[in-house]
Amino acid sequence: MILGKLIDYLKVSAHQVARKRTRVFLTALGIAIGVAAVVGTVALGEGVRYQAVEAIKDQSDLTLIEATADIREGAIQFITPAKIDELGAISHVEASSAVVREAYTTKRQTYLEVVGIDPGGIEGVIQPEFLRGENLEPGSRQAVLGHDVAETLQRYEGVRFGDTIPILVRRYDDDGMPVDEEVQFTLVGVLQERDDAFDQVMLIDRGVAQGLRGDETAFDGVLIRVDQPEEVFGVVDGVKDLGLTAKGAFQQIESVNRLMDVVVLILAFFAGVSLIVGVLMIVNTMVTSVFERTREIGITMAIGASPADVIYLILAECFYIGLIGGVLGDLLGIAFTGVINTFGKAFIIAQLGDTFSTFAEGDITLITPEILAIGMVIAIVLSLASGLYPALKAAHLNPVTAIRTGV
Amino acid sequence: METIIETRHLNKAYNDRVIALADVNLTIEKGEFIALLGRSGSGKSTLLNILGGLDAPTSGEVRIDGKNIDFSDRKSLITLRRESIGFIFQSFNLIPALTAQENVEYPLLFNYHDRTTRRERAADLLLLVGLGDRAHHYPREMSGGEQQRVAIARALVGDPLIILADEPTGNLDSKTRDEIFSLMRQVNRERDTTFLIVTHERELGKRTDRTIELLDGSVVT
Ligand SMILES: Nc1ncnc2c1ncn2[C@@H]1O[C@H](COP(=O)(O)OP(=O)(O)OP(=O)(O)O)[C@@H](O)[C@H]1O
Ligand SMILES: [Mg+2]
Repeated sequence: MILGKLIDYLKVSAHQVARKRTRVFLTALGIAIGVAAVVGTVALGEGVRYQAVEAIKDQSDLTLIEATADIREGAIQFITPAKIDELGAISHVEASSAVVREAYTTKRQTYLEVVGIDPGGIEGVIQPEFLRGENLEPGSRQAVLGHDVAETLQRYEGVRFGDTIPILVRRYDDDGMPVDEEVQFTLVGVLQERDDAFDQVMLIDRGVAQGLRGDETAFDGVLIRVDQPEEVFGVVDGVKDLGLTAKGAFQQIESVNRLMDVVVLILAFFAGVSLIVGVLMIVNTMVTSVFERTREIGITMAIGASPADVIYLILAECFYIGLIGGVLGDLLGIAFTGVINTFGKAFIIAQLGDTFSTFAEGDITLITPEILAIGMVIAIVLSLASGLYPALKAAHLNPVTAIRTGV
Repeated sequence: METIIETRHLNKAYNDRVIALADVNLTIEKGEFIALLGRSGSGKSTLLNILGGLDAPTSGEVRIDGKNIDFSDRKSLITLRRESIGFIFQSFNLIPALTAQENVEYPLLFNYHDRTTRRERAADLLLLVGLGDRAHHYPREMSGGEQQRVAIARALVGDPLIILADEPTGNLDSKTRDEIFSLMRQVNRERDTTFLIVTHERELGKRTDRTIELLDGSVVT
C-alpha cells in the first residue's frame, strides 16, 4: 500500500513536472553540471589510479610476496615450522618456501645480499628464467646470481659462470671476537633480468646458509607465490591474520591507492562545490513553484491531503529533478572524460614521465558503473534535500489563507 | 429526520477584533439543499471553513453526523474532510496539471483507494456531470462551467455526507449558473447528499429547500 501510494504521488508529480518542462530542465541542468564535474574528476582520478596500478603490475612481480616476522602486542611472532605450514595452507598460495637472509662480502669486499632457499623453492616460488646455467643442487655450496649482481661481480672481480666465488663469512670465536672464515661457492646459474629485488641477490641453498650461520632452526621469512594477481591482497590479509608482516610489489599498489584515495577525494570535493549552485537553483525553483501554487496546495488540503501528503508530493517533484539531473550529469560527465582523453592525455603523460608510458595505450579516465551510480545518487539525494525546505513550507500553509489569498 | 450538521454558540473572531461569526446556532437535516446568503464579509466563507474542519472556531461546538468535532485534533479533521465533506470553491478549483479524470480521482489518492476503484468512480461521476467525453482534457481546455462540473464530481468522489460549496457559480454566466445549480440539485435528490451553497444571488435561494442568511456573523431569522 505504501508503495502504491508512492507510485501515485510520483504519477501526479510527473504531471506537475511535465507542465513546467523548461524550468525543470534548466534546474536539473544546474545539478547536472555539478554531477558531471564530480563524475569527470573522479573518473580521471580512477583512470590514473588504474593505469598506475597496471604499470606496477607490468613492471614488477606482483604475485610474489614475502612473509616476515612481526611484533604484535609486544611479542615477536617468529617464523616457526608451524607458521610455515599455515602460510602454505592459505588459499590461492601456489607455492611457498622458507628463506634465511644473510649479508656476505666477497674476499675483495663486494657486499652480497644473500637469500638461502631450497632449490625447489627457487623453482616453485621465484620461478626464475636462467640466462645461463641452472638451479642449485640441494645441500651443496653453489650459488645462483641475480642479473645485476652477476654483472657487478664479473666486472669488478672477474667472476665468470662456473668460477668459484670466495666469500668471507663472519663468525665469532669463543671470546666473542669476529673471525672471517673463507667459504667457496660455485657459480652455477645466472638469472635473467627481472626488474625486481632478485636482480641484486645471491641465491644459495638454505641448509648451507643455516649451517654457516650455526643455527638450523631460525628462518627470516617465507616467500610466497600467489596463483593470480587478483588474489594477492587476499593472501596478504591471510599473512597478516597469522600475525606476520607481508612485503612485496603489492605495497607499491597500496601506496598508489592511498595517494589516489586522497587525490580523488580532494578533486571530488572541489568539483562538488559546484553542486552547491545546483542545490540553490532547486531550492529557488521549488520555493517559487510552491508560492505559485499556494491556492492549489490549499485546495489539495481541503479535499483531504494531510501535510505529509503535501510534503511527499513536493518531494516527488524534486525526485524527478534529481533523476533528470543525474542522467544529464552522468552523460555530461562521460562527455567530459571524452574531452580529457582526446585533448588532455598527451599533456598529462608528458607531465608524468617515462614510468607511466603505458598510459599512452589506454584511456586516461575510467568510468565505472559505480561512479555513474554515485552521480545519480548525489543528484537525487541533493534534490530531495533541497526540496525539504519548500516542501515543509508548503505543508505548513494554512489552507484557509492559502485558498483566500493564493494565486 | 436525521440531523447532520449542528452548531452551538459558534463564535469566530480574528485578532480579537474582527468578529466573523457571532453565536451561530444551526441545525441542518440530512439531505437538505440550503443556500447560505449574506453580504460580503458577513462570515459565509468562515462558517463553511469551520464546518469543513479547515478552520477552527474561537468558541462553540460543531457536530457533524452526530459527532463532536475536536478542532485541536488535526488527524480527525483530515479524516472528516476525507470521509464526510466535499468542498467546491468559486473558481480555479482544479489542479491545472491534471486531466478532468485525474482531478476527480485526486481526493481518493489520499484516502487509500486502489487504482481501479478510483478510475471507475471518477469515470462514473464524470458521466453523471455530463463530461464523460472530456475525461482526458485539462482544466485550461474546458469552460468555467465545465470546470465547475468537474469540481462537483471531485467533491462527490469520496461519497461525502455534506457538500460545502463556496460561491460555486460566482464566476459563471446566468445560463451556466442555472445548469450548475440544477446539477447540484439533481445530485442532492439522487444521492441524498446535503448541500450548503454560498451564493450572492437571492433568486437562487428560491430554488432551494431553505435559505440561511448571515448578517455581520449572525444568523438572520
Ligand atoms: N484571516 C483573516 N484575518 C482577519 N480577518 C478575517 C480573516 N478572514 C476573514 N476575515 C474577516 O472575517 C469576516 C468574514 O469573512 P468571510 O470571508 O467569512 O466573509 P464572506 O461572507 O465569505 O464574504 P465574501 O462574500 O466576500 O466572500 C470579514 O470581515 C473578513 O474581513
Ligand atoms: Mg467568502
